[in-house]
Amino acid sequence: MEQYLTRIDEHRHLNVFTEVYAEEARRQADAVDQKLANGLAGKLAGMVIGLKDVLSYAGHGLRAGSNMLDGFTAQFTATAVQRLLDEDAIIIGRQNCDEFAMGSSNENSAFGPVRNAADPERVPGGSSGGSAVAVQAGLCLASIGSDTGGSVRQPAAFCGVVGLKPTYGRISRWGLIAYASSFDCVGPITHTPDDAALLLEVMAGPDAFDSTVSSRPVEAYSQTQLPSRPLRVGYLREGVDSDGVDESIRAATQRTIDQLRAAGHEVEPVDFSLLNYLLPTYYILTTAEASSNLSRFDGVRYGYRAVTSVSDLVSLYKKSRTEGFGPEVRRRILLGTFALSASYYDAYYTKAQQVRRLIRQETERVFNQYDFLISPTTPTPAFRLGEKADDPLQMYLADIFTVQANVVGYPAISVPNGTDAAGLPIGLQIMAPPFAEGALVAFARSLV
Amino acid sequence: MVVEKTISSDVLSKYEMVVGLEVHCQLLTQSKIFAADANSFGADPNTQISVITLAHPGTLPKLNRQAVEFAVRMGLACGSEITRYNVFARKNYFYPDLPKGYQLSQDKGPICVGGGIRVKVKNPVTGQPYETTIQIHHIHLEEDAGKSIHDGDDWATQLDYNRAGTPLIEMVTDPCIQTAEEAGQYLTEVRRLVRYLDICDGNMEEGSLRCDVNISVRLKGATQLGTKVEVKNLNSIRNVQRAIEAEFRRQIDVVEAGGRLIQETRTFDAATGRSYAMREKETMNDYRYFPDPDLTPVVISDDWLADIQANMPALPGAVYQKFTTFYGLPDYDAALLSDTKELAEFYEAVCTDTTNYKAASNWIMGPLKGQLTEKQLRDRQFPVTPSQLAALITLIDNGTVSQTAAQQIFGLMANQPNAQPAAIAQAHNLVQNRNTDALKTLVEEVLAAWPDKVDQYRKGKKNLLGLFVGEVMKKSKGSADPKLVNQLLVETLAG
Repeated sequence: MEQYLTRIDEHRHLNVFTEVYAEEARRQADAVDQKLANGLAGKLAGMVIGLKDVLSYAGHGLRAGSNMLDGFTAQFTATAVQRLLDEDAIIIGRQNCDEFAMGSSNENSAFGPVRNAADPERVPGGSSGGSAVAVQAGLCLASIGSDTGGSVRQPAAFCGVVGLKPTYGRISRWGLIAYASSFDCVGPITHTPDDAALLLEVMAGPDAFDSTVSSRPVEAYSQTQLPSRPLRVGYLREGVDSDGVDESIRAATQRTIDQLRAAGHEVEPVDFSLLNYLLPTYYILTTAEASSNLSRFDGVRYGYRAVTSVSDLVSLYKKSRTEGFGPEVRRRILLGTFALSASYYDAYYTKAQQVRRLIRQETERVFNQYDFLISPTTPTPAFRLGEKADDPLQMYLADIFTVQANVVGYPAISVPNGTDAAGLPIGLQIMAPPFAEGALVAFARSLV
Repeated sequence: MVVEKTISSDVLSKYEMVVGLEVHCQLLTQSKIFAADANSFGADPNTQISVITLAHPGTLPKLNRQAVEFAVRMGLACGSEITRYNVFARKNYFYPDLPKGYQLSQDKGPICVGGGIRVKVKNPVTGQPYETTIQIHHIHLEEDAGKSIHDGDDWATQLDYNRAGTPLIEMVTDPCIQTAEEAGQYLTEVRRLVRYLDICDGNMEEGSLRCDVNISVRLKGATQLGTKVEVKNLNSIRNVQRAIEAEFRRQIDVVEAGGRLIQETRTFDAATGRSYAMREKETMNDYRYFPDPDLTPVVISDDWLADIQANMPALPGAVYQKFTTFYGLPDYDAALLSDTKELAEFYEAVCTDTTNYKAASNWIMGPLKGQLTEKQLRDRQFPVTPSQLAALITLIDNGTVSQTAAQQIFGLMANQPNAQPAAIAQAHNLVQNRNTDALKTLVEEVLAAWPDKVDQYRKGKKNLLGLFVGEVMKKSKGSADPKLVNQLLVETLAG
């Protein structure tokens, strides 16, 4: 415990934690020691975990990297967090992230950017940037992030750690601040696939507070073994062929393909015809949902409220929301409001829903042929702070390989896959069919 | 002072109104539609508010199935088609009493489609009664907003979120209503139905039943609809009718003066009987409806539907039918007793303890109903219990007490649910004298006192019997059972 607290202190320049629960964590640790001595400890006894600052933990601040929730204290505990606590995990603090989980670099935070421990001049990825660096720099054993379009996997790849996005609906969203409800997933960031599997086992499963959560029984994901037959693995052709993908990453991905073939697995390229539609579909639907999800932050009941030159209700809304939200959140609210507006609804929202269905169908067809689909997690390694901050489109492209899993709701994991010449981590993404997290973790384990 | 322009009846008769009603009914579910908070009227402000109601970050809605069942009940009662696959949509707009910044409602695919409600109406001109069916366009489920209180504080608007998340059904009629009277009868019938179905208390004053009116005018015979105006803030059936009449005249005024009506929302002021423009109609407002991704679609399976159907409370029509056939009541009695569920249930409860169904009806329509205020009736605060009334009827039927004495007993046992009518009759000396020997003596005394009359009677002047009965009753100080006296006199005079 003390070792983590010391390391957190030593790494303040990385700007990982927005609040550290030092005293509380010490007390929790003592209590767990007691339980261990009595043989009553839970599955996660002593596991020191950090929470992305979008997960509700009763009595603790909750900010989502935003000024909008200035002074806000959570009044209830997220189901996922409660299940960790019930198994005697120790919550050490909450972690910096992109505002309302919107971003790919963790530069959109009211608390300032998080820095990559591999190179503090580079971004850690986002939006769960603080959560990834916390594991990377050994500030806690594991983090719980959220993944709407790659927000667990992309920073995991940038930081050389493991990030698991489970099947949509596998973990309750109760207590997770909504970005885009039909995409959002809670997911662990860890050093190993097995740690991720263990955390998933604890957090997953039915929950009366979330009607979109699956009622499927939770398996022992960390115990699942791969079939003894050769695996059928598809790889995204663009991941190794496209000029848009960094040379070092293409090479690393190719090496994995070669190794798998050498091990006797069937590995084939997959052309995903709708690849170019993934990002537009993702951005139209997530911003549409976000524009509505974030309406509750209106300065009326809690959070930030503008006080100066507020003359009437409309100006209260306008000023509170303009001052409370950062530019990226405002951009996405505007985009989503536009996509849902009467004159453009069919051209954008309805069309995107139709394309989402087509993407699902094509993805299903791919998985009729393959057990897994692999690709680089990201097209580039961690970029420099500020490098893409003024170019939202370039920034959005950082999610090109990760959004598919969210659009279709499939599980995917990012595992470390070496480094580039500069020593920057490279990630490999593996995607599996719905609820095949056990096999996914087993396959990931075989690769690391 | 505003001088009312009067429209000549000639002008008035050139036009007809086209009215559609939107009725919101707050459902009497125990908890809110998407949260476990209690759903009840009149609690202290902001005491029934959980993190879900307040839309704290990270909260999710959870559907209350009872609200779905209640909506389906109404649909079944109206003969609507029940939608099996229901999706909730978000209606996005900002208002301080709307915590999430969107209202969960149904946009496409309301839970009930079509159907209608039969009403009996009088023609306003001829006074002729007629029956017509008000067509239901659809019924959808949604959540209520909180309440903004503007007069509680001099400088601030206060907000009470207790009501936020109360389940509502919104019933929308076709634009098929032709008179204010039809609108009034329709509302009366809706209120009766929701009360019979136990899904809403139907109280317009407290706002648990709310009605908005959509009205346009056109020349009789025209096929195009005129410009629609919505009138809100109507807190009684009478005010709905007044607002329709007033708006009908206002619109004709505008048209006759060569003006153009604008599509708008107006608010009705019951004090002046006039409506005032509120805001430009929502054509300006884009609610950006889209399916709520936090709620999975609600599928109403065959089993569930059958279960709801099996547990439907009896409807007014069926109750009326039963009263005329099973209990053999005249139409008038059946209509009056089935008018409210409370009275109908009371009647049936009485009839479990007596088979004198007509007497039960008479007692309820007369003495019982006469004492009840509307509120007492709704709260089922009856002066006597059904079993007390049944016992009283039995006492009359077996001759223990007279009708007159029974009226007295009824008064004496009011609000004393444990009092037994037989005991009251005893205690107050109201039991009829049925002692044959004692009465025989009285009969003989009377006959002895009227020898002439006895003679005339025996010669055929049978109507003198009444005189003898009266005299015997007098001697008994009213305690004798007149039937028995009658019988004894006939026997004695014949002997």
